[in-house]
Amino acid sequence: MEIWKWVFFFMFIISFGGLEIDAKKRSQPHPTERISGSAGDVLEDDPVGRLKVFVYELPSKYNKKILQKDQRCLTHMFAAEIFMHRFLLSSPVRTLNPEEADWFYTPVYSTCDLTPNGLPLPFKSPRMMRSAIQLISSNWPYWNRTEGADHFFVVPHDFGACFHYQEEKAIERGILPLLQRATLVQTFGQRNHVCLKENSITIPPYAPPQKMQAHLIPPETPRSIFVYFRGLFYDVGNDPEGGYYARGARAAVWENFKDNPLFDISTEHPTTYYEDMQRAVFCLCPLGWAPWSPRLVEAVIFGCIPVIIADDIVLPFADAIPWEEIGLFVDEKDVPNLDTILTSIPPEVILRKQRLLANPSVKQAMLFPTPAQSGDAFHQILNGLARKLPHNRSVYLKPGEKVLNWTAGPVGDLKPW
Amino acid sequence: MKQLSLLQQQALGRRSNSFRSVDGAVDGAIKSPAALFWLLLHGLCCLISLVLGFRFSRLVFFLLFSTTSTPSSSSSSTITLPFLGTLDNQSPSILQPPIPANRTVVSRVVVGRHGILIRPWPHPNPEEVMRAHRILERVQKEQRIQYGVKEPRSVIVVTPTYVRTFQALHLTGVMHSLMNAPYDVVWIVVEAGGPTNETATLIAKSRLRTIHIGFDQPMPVSWSDRHRVEDLMRLQALRLVRDRRLDGIVVFADDSNMHSMEFFDEIQKVNEVGALSVGILVHSSDPNEHLQTEKMEDEGSSLPIQGPACNSSDNLVGWHTFDTSPYAEKSAVFIGDLGTVLPRKIEWAGFVLNSRLLWKEGTEKPEWMNDLDTLADDGVESPLSLLKDPSVVEPLGSCGRKVLLWWLRVEARADSKFPSGKLPNETEFWRILAMEWVIDTPLEITVPAKHTPWPEVPPELPSVEKVKTSEQRFVEEHPVKKPPKTRNKKRSSRGKKKRETKVTETQLNSRRPGEK
Amino acid sequence: MGTTSTERSKKRVHLWKKAICHFLLCFVMGFFTGFAPTGKPPFMTFMSSEVTRYNQSIEIAPRPMVSANSGSNDSSVSNRSLSETSNSTAEEVNSLEESQINNLYPRRQIIVITPTSDKNPLRGVLLNRMANTLKLVPPPLLWIVVESQLESSDVSDILRKTGVMYRHLVFKENFTDHRVEMDYQRNFALKHIEQHRLSGIVHFAALSNVYDLNFFDEIRAIEAFGSWPLAKLSTKRKKMIIEGPVCQSSQVVGWHLKNLNTEVEELGIHISSFGFNSSILWDPERWGRLPAAEATKQNSLKFVKQAVTEDESKVKGVPSEDCSKVNLWQLHLSSKLVLVNHVPDSPDGGPR
Repeated sequence: MEIWKWVFFFMFIISFGGLEIDAKKRSQPHPTERISGSAGDVLEDDPVGRLKVFVYELPSKYNKKILQKDQRCLTHMFAAEIFMHRFLLSSPVRTLNPEEADWFYTPVYSTCDLTPNGLPLPFKSPRMMRSAIQLISSNWPYWNRTEGADHFFVVPHDFGACFHYQEEKAIERGILPLLQRATLVQTFGQRNHVCLKENSITIPPYAPPQKMQAHLIPPETPRSIFVYFRGLFYDVGNDPEGGYYARGARAAVWENFKDNPLFDISTEHPTTYYEDMQRAVFCLCPLGWAPWSPRLVEAVIFGCIPVIIADDIVLPFADAIPWEEIGLFVDEKDVPNLDTILTSIPPEVILRKQRLLANPSVKQAMLFPTPAQSGDAFHQILNGLARKLPHNRSVYLKPGEKVLNWTAGPVGDLKPW
Repeated sequence: MKQLSLLQQQALGRRSNSFRSVDGAVDGAIKSPAALFWLLLHGLCCLISLVLGFRFSRLVFFLLFSTTSTPSSSSSSTITLPFLGTLDNQSPSILQPPIPANRTVVSRVVVGRHGILIRPWPHPNPEEVMRAHRILERVQKEQRIQYGVKEPRSVIVVTPTYVRTFQALHLTGVMHSLMNAPYDVVWIVVEAGGPTNETATLIAKSRLRTIHIGFDQPMPVSWSDRHRVEDLMRLQALRLVRDRRLDGIVVFADDSNMHSMEFFDEIQKVNEVGALSVGILVHSSDPNEHLQTEKMEDEGSSLPIQGPACNSSDNLVGWHTFDTSPYAEKSAVFIGDLGTVLPRKIEWAGFVLNSRLLWKEGTEKPEWMNDLDTLADDGVESPLSLLKDPSVVEPLGSCGRKVLLWWLRVEARADSKFPSGKLPNETEFWRILAMEWVIDTPLEITVPAKHTPWPEVPPELPSVEKVKTSEQRFVEEHPVKKPPKTRNKKRSSRGKKKRETKVTETQLNSRRPGEK
Repeated sequence: MGTTSTERSKKRVHLWKKAICHFLLCFVMGFFTGFAPTGKPPFMTFMSSEVTRYNQSIEIAPRPMVSANSGSNDSSVSNRSLSETSNSTAEEVNSLEESQINNLYPRRQIIVITPTSDKNPLRGVLLNRMANTLKLVPPPLLWIVVESQLESSDVSDILRKTGVMYRHLVFKENFTDHRVEMDYQRNFALKHIEQHRLSGIVHFAALSNVYDLNFFDEIRAIEAFGSWPLAKLSTKRKKMIIEGPVCQSSQVVGWHLKNLNTEVEELGIHISSFGFNSSILWDPERWGRLPAAEATKQNSLKFVKQAVTEDESKVKGVPSEDCSKVNLWQLHLSSKLVLVNHVPDSPDGGPR
């Protein structure tokens, strides 16, 4: 009898335990955080007065001299680090008194060492970063106070502060040990990735605002392309076997949809690229070597619904922009069904997404214009930093307490810069 | 998803139902609370065991399912299945609630090589293609609603025409423009010499609201007379607009015009009378005219324009007129002449007016409008003669700088007496029946034996019928009587005759591949 | 007392037995309901999400129906927030869509290829006119417009405003001979079709063509090859010229010829007067042809022309009743205005 009772009891527990987990799973929606209201109410926040930033003055070899060597740094996808520096220097949130600062900014241009092709080579960046941190920690007391917990760094490269362009190597390296307490502002956004630090601020890549502005066409230009994509499908140079690049997703797009007249996809980059995006309904934004690409910014600016194909991507300013409502998320495994997925969306939903995309505050948040304009990406970064205030008590170390290990990491990184 | 929630509701409904039944039992056994308690417990346990049974069976089901069909695609392996997870460590820890794999391995992202998913049905599903086009259509419509003209007025198009060789070509072009215009269109077609079936069938294809009226004079052959007649035809149409009180914007579209779609948006801006620039496509049909065209090219490829001229502050100051001097000697006098057809001072095309101006009477009628009826007698020089004061014209199309319609007057030679039956100088091999542009082909073809396109002995019935129909068509045009013959006979006899009278145009026999 | 107690305990045991019996029964019942088809089992809800997801992931392969389901599932998942906010409208849309689907009978794709050259001063105007016509053709239609990259961008400007689904191809090569360039452009477009394996009926539309809309319905009926008559109008000539096939029913039995002296080698059907199924370019075996040899690979146009002319029996006459109805006109303008480079007697409709 007792046994029976117990058996029942246990089975009861199992079954309802299972139920509970199911319920939990179900109540956990798409993991992107987003605001409940309409797009823009957080985007229109004004950071001025909500935070104060102190900009360290570093020798120009950490920033300006590097830029002088290669002017292309001003136009490539990672140029945000340079424009952020310029912006902060003249921003009203800047304070010259470090005692009253909420955040400290170290202007290091870590991705401005380019190959002849214009691709960044971040090999020296760890040493450079280390050297800069050594400098500020010996010249000012503020780093040692928190070991960087109230400092932020702009590291816009593919795998952010891991400083390697190959993902596997980057993962092996991990985030630079010295930056482990700092807040990172990075373009890279891959959920649960070693190189994406918790509490990082994900920003859009840099896309030239003036150039895009110049290519704007009237909004009444009829949209006559169903799906648009220009870019690589296979990166034969770096991935001759295929399957590594874009985790095979781009190759799948090509193989499944090259023969579909609705899919205007090609590797050629036409002179009318920006105009064509403005007459497309859907713009594919598949991952490349990293989950993001400038297409995301372009699609938003040009009012083309971004179809984001990058599992577990963390999108820029995801806490302020309702990405799920303006864009479309397609799992990498569902790429072969892209046509079915896109054609079965009710037209009303598409029109709603287009209306949300037309919201200028979302567009503004994607750009780094010079001079800065209210609501642009600079302001969103500051908003993000302001939302992290006030600092938790735990960021301040007890006198004499040390957390960071200055000798951790690959030996090569420890060499002086 | 929707299905899912429905299921959920169903299940909930059921659950509450079963509870309700228990409650019913309670009502009966309300006397002893202990019995009630036991009954309730019993019911509950029954329910639980039902659930357990169901769950257990699902577990078994999954177990079977997963072992028989292992996921083939690489990506599917990353999907976490909590129930499979529990079964893996079934025997030792079944009593502990399973920890979902999601918790620990949260990311689905795997670094390294992935498969490239290619589905085996590569062709686009035609139904999806249609749906996509529907979406595009909807999006474009929404764009028009959002950015287009608010409160659009209807467009009244006046087109003078007459039946001739180029009519189908020209009128089809204009018709397609009108069909695309995203506004209500009323198309008034005035036909010289009275309405004909040819024109009627042509414009019926537009599925627009058409008013097809005749004009009692035939189209003259000389260009200057023709201009005059066309003006009168337009005035007739305007009178019709006045008498029927048609409301909208009156546009003069000659059948040799070509319109950009922006034209129709632009004219919506007009208040009373407006003018747009017309691109004049001067066309010379004189093959000896080398000098002039080359000169034109030297001057730049910009097309000559006729229309309003503005000063820098966008006020109308005058008119761009077409410089006729280079063409003076070679200009055409008769329709189809070897020479350039030149525009006159101001063409009607590119001139728009609010139809209410026409039907306003008495004091409402603006002073600067001329009366239609008095005009008809005096004759009209240009659309400006409608107005006493041409300065009221509103220049449209960024003040005439944008060219949104073009004028290309080309006609067949006047001696191509179309549509009077077959065309002159044509061989007997084929003829165009005026109305339908149907080639009436007598089949005089010697067929290579090896390559017979039809059976040696043709199926009698259909071919006879065929001849009949074609004969009928023939008879309509020519009262020539021919006894119905079988095709074969006709072919051989007529073919012979034709071969003797070969001219420049003929048909080539079917070739065999070996002939090459 | 004792008896009663034993009786009682007996009774209790009996009661327990009865209860357990009930439970077992219920358990078995539940067990079997679990095996019932996954549609409506009563306590299935908490499983179903897993079930569908699982199905989706393993059936990535061959059944389009399944994928269609999963597709719609997915999109609704990602749009969940939207459907929540506007449930009623979504339902209206659904019902609307359902009624629409009935009118959505699929049509065959038409691929229209138009080569352009800035030597034609009327290019912009004629592009506009062509676009007006193509916009009226019921979808699906893809317009491939080719142009040299050296030229100005007014072509893309015009095309953009038309709302027609088009692809604008540009090439870099320079040509002096207009006719060669036009053929190169057509080949360029065919190469695009071949590379993308686009499927549809290909038609070469010269800018000076004017169409009756029926034309496009008619050519949709083409299976492999089709040909139709074309009327060339000119202001210079007294007569017009008809080019194209001579048919018996829908069977092509010969061709209208420009003149008798035409060499067999030169014989070609007018480029605008035939259409073909594009799959012959990228899947020639399907049509019983050898894949194009390297030499013809460079010149798909020649390959196609050969295929059409060598055996009329495969060519369908359009319109199917006797192909005698003219749905396509071509206007010939003065050589000096239209084309700067005078090309003697080009088969593609250059002036003569």
